[in-house]
Amino acid sequence: MNKQIIYFPKDGKPTLIINKWQVWDGERDAGGIPNLDHELHKVLVPFHWWITHHKNSDIIDRANKGEVGVWFAADDDILKHADIIEEGKNRWPVIAAHFPIFRDGRSFSTAALLRERFAWTGEVRAIGDVLIDQLLKGARVGFDAFELRPDQKLDIGLKQFDLISVTTQNSWRDQRATTVAQLVDR
Amino acid sequence: MYKYDHIDQTLVDQRVIQFRDQVERRLNGTIAEEEFRPLRLQNGLYHQRHAYMLRVAIPYGLLSAKQLRTLAFIADKYDRGYAHFTTRQNIQFNWVELEQTPDILAELAKVEMHAIQTSGNCIRNITSDAFAGVAADEYIDPRPICELLRQWSTLHPEFAHLPRKFKFAINGAKEDRTVLLCHDVGIELKKDPNINNGELTADIYAGGGMGRTPILGSLIKQGLPWQVLPSYLTALLRVYNRFGRRDNLYKARIKILVKSLGPEEFARQVEGEWAYLHNEAKQSKDNFTKYEWERVAKHFTKPAYQQLNTMSDEAIPAAATEAERGAFTRWLKRNVKSHQVPGYASVILSLKPHGTVAPGDATSAQMNAIADLADQYSFGELRVTHEQNLVLADVEQSKLLELWQAAKQQHVALPNIGLLTDIIACPGGDFCSLANAKSLPIAKAIQERFDDLDYLFDLGDISLNISGCINSCGHHHVGNIGVLGVDKDGEEWYQITLGGEQGNDASIGKVIGPSFYANEIPDVMTSLINVYVEQRTTDEPFIETYRRLGVSPFKEAAYKNNGKHSKGALA
Ligand code: HEM
Ligand code: SF4
Repeated sequence: MNKQIIYFPKDGKPTLIINKWQVWDGERDAGGIPNLDHELHKVLVPFHWWITHHKNSDIIDRANKGEVGVWFAADDDILKHADIIEEGKNRWPVIAAHFPIFRDGRSFSTAALLRERFAWTGEVRAIGDVLIDQLLKGARVGFDAFELRPDQKLDIGLKQFDLISVTTQNSWRDQRATTVAQLVDR
Repeated sequence: MYKYDHIDQTLVDQRVIQFRDQVERRLNGTIAEEEFRPLRLQNGLYHQRHAYMLRVAIPYGLLSAKQLRTLAFIADKYDRGYAHFTTRQNIQFNWVELEQTPDILAELAKVEMHAIQTSGNCIRNITSDAFAGVAADEYIDPRPICELLRQWSTLHPEFAHLPRKFKFAINGAKEDRTVLLCHDVGIELKKDPNINNGELTADIYAGGGMGRTPILGSLIKQGLPWQVLPSYLTALLRVYNRFGRRDNLYKARIKILVKSLGPEEFARQVEGEWAYLHNEAKQSKDNFTKYEWERVAKHFTKPAYQQLNTMSDEAIPAAATEAERGAFTRWLKRNVKSHQVPGYASVILSLKPHGTVAPGDATSAQMNAIADLADQYSFGELRVTHEQNLVLADVEQSKLLELWQAAKQQHVALPNIGLLTDIIACPGGDFCSLANAKSLPIAKAIQERFDDLDYLFDLGDISLNISGCINSCGHHHVGNIGVLGVDKDGEEWYQITLGGEQGNDASIGKVIGPSFYANEIPDVMTSLINVYVEQRTTDEPFIETYRRLGVSPFKEAAYKNNGKHSKGALA
């Protein structure tokens, strides 16, 4: 896992912060969430795993301590599980959406749905094959944290967000400039 | 013509900087080629057989003389002195260097042009009627909607990595000149007093496309108020982005999703998503506003037309000398279209002179000269057609003769518009790395075979479209006669389809049988045409004769020499 992630809150500036969450793939789950290394207790579990295990008492325990979040796979149909997500809103400090490969854009729509439809206000983290050139798009659809693929250069990543300062469609962060102009003009 | 304001200009300027940085990172090795590929494609940069190719957007086909001069300049400075106008209202430079593309983009940005989303798995350049705003059969000028949607789709963050490319076409005339039903989304604009208080509405067709599975789009929504297009199209694309197949390149287009779900179910899913997006709270934010409409529509007002009288069909050719009159009349018939405003006409400049290199090619000298013609005769504006020709939309009828004479000097006055030699063809094996066969030599051989203008004229409207592979860039499926390059055991063969049609009666052609060698194609064409000439009734166009007779007589004729040819390419 990456020691640092890019954090870009909606009304803030992009910065590097320490990564406190470990992404677990849901494998080797004989005894629930395994003991993870790095003394990190905070774990992002696969959403499908959460669906089957979230009633277990040990999971509830750890979730109550704020140690469990979920990540959505690109092919998770999150609208099908709206009730579980609604319930999860009070439990998960962080959620993530996964890019199996950088050119698979499904998680862009997942993030947009989480923000628009589920009104999720906490962190939405991009994980998986996240490359520098996805950051700007991700930030606009609803991601506010990015765990870049380990080979990516964080300093170059940090500079991506203000490359394009105008927008011609609404996004999670801002109203399109073509309507904002109205306020300026009139 | 639309003029960028500071928002558009800032966006394209910053885009140049962004792409320059991406190219630099590619060149210094910090981006791998595989990862750079979608980035460059979203900027129209392909890697072709021999070199990089840059595809530049000409949104809804509209171009200023100044822009055309810049394209000519780019062709000279960064390419080999020519460029290629495509079926989707783009222009392609075939021989550019990766290192120089940021500079080319900077040149383009100076004249309000770009290459954003001309390729890649995103919303592509939006196409429309080349005669928008002037066509006599137009009921709505589609250009403000085209422009609003151009802006909406430009660098759209959610739809930057769709399962496949995504193409919009928009029509507002009685006759469809956009091949509406062959697009991922076709938007038909309407003004019906019974819908939305007579305000502009849109009918939405989804799931059309060509390629290896040609399908015509299905109507999925009627009477959508224009203001809600952003939320409706967001819903539509979101359904596609989430559920379009990504496991198989050939099944990833929206047409496959629409087909597998059925248009009703697809429409229902879009409706479900839209119902959510289209609630009152959001509506106020997402809908196109009157202000935005005014912001763009003010650029699509009519140019400063003179008060003129319509000239009669006899009066126009009367100005020509007797020696010129025949040829001029022919050009008037084929290359000049009627106009909304009395005393004006629209002129099509043919980029298909017989025997040239490629349909749709123009040299930089031609581009500069045509730009001058646009300034002189058509308010400094031009259009690019789906058939790969250029249009001067606003020409005074009394100046047609002068213009014809000037166009002849540039070899763009051939009166073959809509005729057999007005061939749509993709670059094929000469340039394209995906090709199974060459298409340009086939086009050239057919033009050489049918070089007699009197004969062509007598044959009347026939569309002939050629693609070098099943990707169908040459739109062979919708040609009355289609030619498709196929590969058999490493050899180039050509398959013929008949009965395709674009326009209001759009249809997909049918394969007539086994494929042919390249050198057989001119004879096959002659045989097909002979059947038509023998069987037609008075004034019956080729496609009607074909529909009346069916494929059999044509098929028989095409194969009558079968086996008598030795295999071979064209000389
Ligand atoms: C570098 C050269 C080119 C490459 C690599 C290329 C690539 C492709 C590919 C892969 C497809 C298949 C899409 C599918 O399966 O749905 C396609 C379709 C198409 N291309 Fe090209 N193309 C090239 C040049 C052109 C040119 C020059 C034109 C116009 C003259 C063009 C216009 C089109 C059109 C209209 C389609 C049909 C799309 C549809 O409706 O399904 N392309 N191209
Ligand atoms: S049809 Fe095939 S050969 Fe022709 S341009 Fe398209 S991809 Fe290339």
